[in-house]
Amino acid sequence: MLQIENLHVCVEDQPILNGLSLEINAGQVHAIMGPNGSGKSTLAQVLAGRDDYKVTQGSITFYGKNLLEMQPEERAHLGLFLAFQYPTEIPGVNNAYLLKAALNAQRAARNEQEVDAFEFMNLIKNKMEMMQIPKTFLNRSVNEGFSGGEKKRNEILQMLTLEPSLAILDETDSGLDVDALRIVADGVNNLRSPERSLILVTHYERLLELVVPDFVHVLAGGRIVKSGDRDLARYLDEHGYDWVQTEVSAQ
Amino acid sequence: MNTEILRKEFESRMAQLPSQGKDHEFRRKAMDAFYSAGFPSRQWETWKYTDLKPIASKGFQLIPKESTDSAHETASKLLATCDLEAEPSRLIFLDGHHVPALSSEITTTGLRLSMLGHPGLKNRSAFSKHSSKNFKEHPLAALNAAFSTQGVRIQVAEKTNIDTVIHLVFLDSNLENQTSQPRILIDLKAESKITIVQHFLGAGSNSGWTNSVTEISQARSSDLTLYQLQEHGTEHFHTGLLYSSLTSDASIKLGFIDLGGRLTRNDVQIDLDGAGAKTELFGVFLAADGQHIDNHTRIDHRAPETKSIETFRGIIGDRGRGVFNGKVVVHPDAQKVDAQQSNDNLLLSEKAEIDTKPELEIYADEVKCSHGATVGDLDAEQLFYMKSRGIKESAARGILIFAFANEILKLIGLPKLRERAILGVADHLPSHDRLGVEL
Ligand SMILES: Nc1ncnc2c1ncn2[C@@H]1O[C@H](COP(=O)(O)OP(=O)(O)OP(=O)(O)O)[C@@H](O)[C@H]1O
Ligand SMILES: [Mg+2]
Repeated sequence: MLQIENLHVCVEDQPILNGLSLEINAGQVHAIMGPNGSGKSTLAQVLAGRDDYKVTQGSITFYGKNLLEMQPEERAHLGLFLAFQYPTEIPGVNNAYLLKAALNAQRAARNEQEVDAFEFMNLIKNKMEMMQIPKTFLNRSVNEGFSGGEKKRNEILQMLTLEPSLAILDETDSGLDVDALRIVADGVNNLRSPERSLILVTHYERLLELVVPDFVHVLAGGRIVKSGDRDLARYLDEHGYDWVQTEVSAQ
Repeated sequence: MNTEILRKEFESRMAQLPSQGKDHEFRRKAMDAFYSAGFPSRQWETWKYTDLKPIASKGFQLIPKESTDSAHETASKLLATCDLEAEPSRLIFLDGHHVPALSSEITTTGLRLSMLGHPGLKNRSAFSKHSSKNFKEHPLAALNAAFSTQGVRIQVAEKTNIDTVIHLVFLDSNLENQTSQPRILIDLKAESKITIVQHFLGAGSNSGWTNSVTEISQARSSDLTLYQLQEHGTEHFHTGLLYSSLTSDASIKLGFIDLGGRLTRNDVQIDLDGAGAKTELFGVFLAADGQHIDNHTRIDHRAPETKSIETFRGIIGDRGRGVFNGKVVVHPDAQKVDAQQSNDNLLLSEKAEIDTKPELEIYADEVKCSHGATVGDLDAEQLFYMKSRGIKESAARGILIFAFANEILKLIGLPKLRERAILGVADHLPSHDRLGVEL
């Protein structure tokens, strides 16, 4: 589904990713862990198509197509979704309006019938209940004045509504209380299927107990320096990253 | 110079009117004032960014009262776009002249509507005690006063609350080199209340010129809401002065939505003369390719505990040009004044231009004042966020521009008018920023 090969990315002329490679197949869940500032969000944003992050080398293929040549919206139409680490506030734009516009834009791009207001409400009703987002949030401006946890749950509501085939969750678990973490995990598990894949960027092993990954990768110094299964996450939780760094420099 | 043509036009008008009376003298005085000042030029501090040469160099003539069939046809077409049910009480003016056949019968106790330009009618002067105040500063208002045969006088009796919204619809039938000079006098007695809409509407691409004056007197504790929606055709010129004098505890809410026209200049002068008088003034102006829109507002706090809140937002596209100048003067002895002002602007292209200048002059010491102006592009993070959800660039831009305007448009208290303004904004956006999604 997704092949990243030898990816180099610069932000403001600073190299952030230095030859990152990763392959994700349909149905898989990959966790990406790594120290602060190691480039996890950079990777996520590059995948979503943020244009101020410059790809200087390497390639990304999504469903056999060159992802780097696509606009962010085209990537979304192909099924890519990013739950932002810091969801953007958009004053004056109604939350429900944005979500409906997004859903219909995606449907139109796929030559599917657009939904009207009534169908839309039916469609998101259970999802809102599942995310425990009160109805009043629909009429508020996108993310404006939402608490940290509310923003994260709103991202997952969007994900559940848009039903992406590849979802990247950038620290969606950070800043959530225990109950909210479970709510989010349930939402994510609800979306899992043999066709859908997930990239979970996280600092905490706790999420990975609830959404069990097939692979765990450590991103450090702009590359994936270690990969393993869920046991690696447990080990990192206990021992931190120092030993990985030592191991890498030893090589 | 076309002051000559206008003067000739004036003399021939005067010949048709009864040659005595106060109004007659007043008109002559006004014409003299205009004639000696001439068109304001860019040497004037208040006209630095707006060049009236395109108007001054043309030979405009006052549009004759007898409209042609084709004018009537245009009028009907334009009116068809207005929601009759939303505007049950409306007065229609075609190229400046009142058209009774298209207007509603409005009979409401406590409300008196008198059409200007009917000679021989007693007590229906086209002037108020404020009329000559502005001649020096605003020669175009003097010109309007000199003609002063088009328009309406609206009087609301003491302690009367008029529920019906009065819609004044000024249609221009797209006549080249012709001018209309509508004049609206509003007189609110103590503790009265009314809402009025001034809707300028035109189509086509001939260059006519509308030069309007709205003169408002508000007695103690009166309450006026007035919205102006300007939707002229693409080549039309619009200049207008709105003047209001408020005595104690009177309040005025004013909303200006400017969408059409080639060159638009709105002058607003509000005198908060009585203690406790207050004004809420807001506006949205959208200058798309080649349009020029200038809002010059001045609020004078002349009495204690007066209050003003002013918010204007400009959206400038392509080679559009916007000007905002908001002057607030707090006079000596006007203590405990609260004055807030802001002007935020979106520039949608590299060629778009805005000149914005808030001016505060404070001569009292116990005042609460704030002002600020911003100029910016659409927020890149917000655009990216929306695009990452699958929304196209053009639609995402449209949604953001629209949200920017809507923060102000939602202050319009009339739902149908608000809806029209919203659709109007969407309609006037540069085509590459058009909404790709339904509203
Ligand atoms: N716009 C920018 N300008 C300059 N540096 C930037 C910019 N954006 C990111 N960086 C830098 O790129 C590096 C990687 O940032 P990134 O956000 O990808 O880290 P991360 O792995 O997601 O960290 P965290 O775990 O704290 O979220 C950091 O050193 C950051 O300061
Ligand atoms: Mg990050």
